[in-house]
Amino acid sequence: MPNEIDPRFLARLASNRTSRRRFIGGSAAAAAAAVLGPAFLAACSSDSGGGGDEEASDSLRISNWPAYMAPDFVKGFQDKEGITVDYKEDLNDNEEWFAKVKEPLQRKQDIGSDLAVPTTFMAVRLQQLGFLSELNHANIPNIDNLRPDLLEASVDPGRKFSAPYMSGFVGLGYNRAATGRDIKGIDDLWDPAFKGRVSLFSDTQDALGMIMMSQGSSIDKPDEASVQKAIDLVREEKDKGQIRRFTGNDYLDDLAAGNLVVAQAYSGDVVQLQADNPDVQFIIPESGGTTFVDTMVIPNTTQHQDWAEKWINYIYDRANYAKLVSFVQYIPVLSDMTDELAKVDPEAAKNPLINPPKEMLAKAKGWPALSDEQLQKFNTAYAAVTGA
Amino acid sequence: MIAPALIYLGIFFVWPIISLAMTSLSTAGGSVFLPTMKFSWNFGNYTDAFSHYQDQILRSFLYAIVATVVCLVLAYPLAYVIAFKAGRYKNLILGLVILPFFVTFLIRTIAWKTILADDGWVVSALGAVGLLPSDGRLLSTSWAVIGGLIYNWIIFMILPLYVSLEKIDPRLIEATKDLYSSNTRSFTKVIMPLSMPGVFAGSLLVFIPAAGDFINASYLGSTQTTMIGNVIQQQFLVVKDYPAAAALSMVLMVIILVGVLAYTRALGTEDLV
Repeated sequence: MPNEIDPRFLARLASNRTSRRRFIGGSAAAAAAAVLGPAFLAACSSDSGGGGDEEASDSLRISNWPAYMAPDFVKGFQDKEGITVDYKEDLNDNEEWFAKVKEPLQRKQDIGSDLAVPTTFMAVRLQQLGFLSELNHANIPNIDNLRPDLLEASVDPGRKFSAPYMSGFVGLGYNRAATGRDIKGIDDLWDPAFKGRVSLFSDTQDALGMIMMSQGSSIDKPDEASVQKAIDLVREEKDKGQIRRFTGNDYLDDLAAGNLVVAQAYSGDVVQLQADNPDVQFIIPESGGTTFVDTMVIPNTTQHQDWAEKWINYIYDRANYAKLVSFVQYIPVLSDMTDELAKVDPEAAKNPLINPPKEMLAKAKGWPALSDEQLQKFNTAYAAVTGA
Repeated sequence: MIAPALIYLGIFFVWPIISLAMTSLSTAGGSVFLPTMKFSWNFGNYTDAFSHYQDQILRSFLYAIVATVVCLVLAYPLAYVIAFKAGRYKNLILGLVILPFFVTFLIRTIAWKTILADDGWVVSALGAVGLLPSDGRLLSTSWAVIGGLIYNWIIFMILPLYVSLEKIDPRLIEATKDLYSSNTRSFTKVIMPLSMPGVFAGSLLVFIPAAGDFINASYLGSTQTTMIGNVIQQQFLVVKDYPAAAALSMVLMVIILVGVLAYTRALGTEDLV
């Protein structure tokens, strides 16, 4: 039948999770914010209920990224717990969201959500600013299902404030047809044959983590010298004309169009792109890559801490979580997901970018919690290369 | 009578400029992500801005000057034709000139990425006729950025030129003919001088936004083509070093102001604007 269309492909088109979350949500919002300026951000915040003395909400209000949820998942929770959920996809960009909520949080005013899903670094920032409620583990017995590495992650040992939602790799994406060979590690980025067709992330941690590892530095306790060493290498390659662009999430279209042959990439994006272009591959560099984790946090202005914890507990049930993963196609944060995933979606269970084997997980590390001062110092040093 | 205008200028011009100037001389204190600005006559922000980013500042003005000159060269004949030769097609051509600008700036710029792509037909066509080396590219070069600036701002050259040419009394041109002037002489002696207000206004309307532009450099450029606008944007939104960003903005503004004053002097157009 010539008109037969792979239903998985259709599902991807329909969900289009990664590209909306990482690509449109990131780059278009960033572009819009860049063009329209902070006034745009301020305007965005005005309609989202940042006000003060609101009446108590009778539903659990959740703020998540666009298309980061499976169909009927919310309904399943509502039916089981008898709690009404007001589910909003109003997280587009960590920094934009932070700009929106920081003022009310400082004044201890309701931000219109009882649970939000920022990326780890943002969760750490919120916690350091004292904006988060401590999670009551008595209400979240399923937290034992978390991957041990995430449960004891140095950013939040024991997961007192932030509960991982989805995880992904930061590695290298490449176009096998354009490179003509397999890409193995960071050295391949500097191959003169790829001059001007390589991109790095403009985000400090996502960009520098794997480069530092390739230089033998560890990111467990990053010091200024090792970060600077990585930045110096990037500057040297930039001055040679090796690096075409420093990208946000907008490397994807250049990689698909062939303008880039090797790019620092997020695993979920590549899973997405592979559906259209099987030549695009993703690897974690031999010397190691990094991971990112989006986490569920409860702002201390919440009106329904118990309900938010019930929600986390519901997500941490492996059978429920498998439905979520099969739809959003990121890496599970729960351990031993293979069986449950295979029941729902055998294809996803076999995809190493969704259900990575232990060796692969072992090659990827997460950044530790950096202090504001550290992060600012690293950001400034790296921006001197990317912005100049 | 002028109170509303004064209040408007006070709120939307004077106050923001003062606030920007204050920020540019401040030192950031408090927590990194919830900074508090402390005014401290910190002129170090300015010396830092110059020493770190002089390349970007120079590049921005170079790109803006090239773009302005090319816009002028391309727009003058077009405006001339619309004003004098188009006849009943005048409104149609004007409409066509304006038409692309119904589509948003961002979309039009991103469209050029597709057109100029490394594997696109423009690059291969130019390569085939030997205008580009085989491994050459258009996207992510200075030429793409300058091209983007020209494309995006040329309408601000065409329209003032058209207006000033269209205003010229045709009887003046007839008079030159009556006095046996050649076409060239009537152009250089009558039409060109009378169109100078358009040249002046058009150049400023192209040059000023082009010098501060960052969209073209970020979508069509590479790591070698960053402009001062990109640096300011990054300092404000990513690094969140507001004093440095404000100092760079002030530097950009002052240089443009000085340039415009010099340009006004050179053209002697005080009485034309």
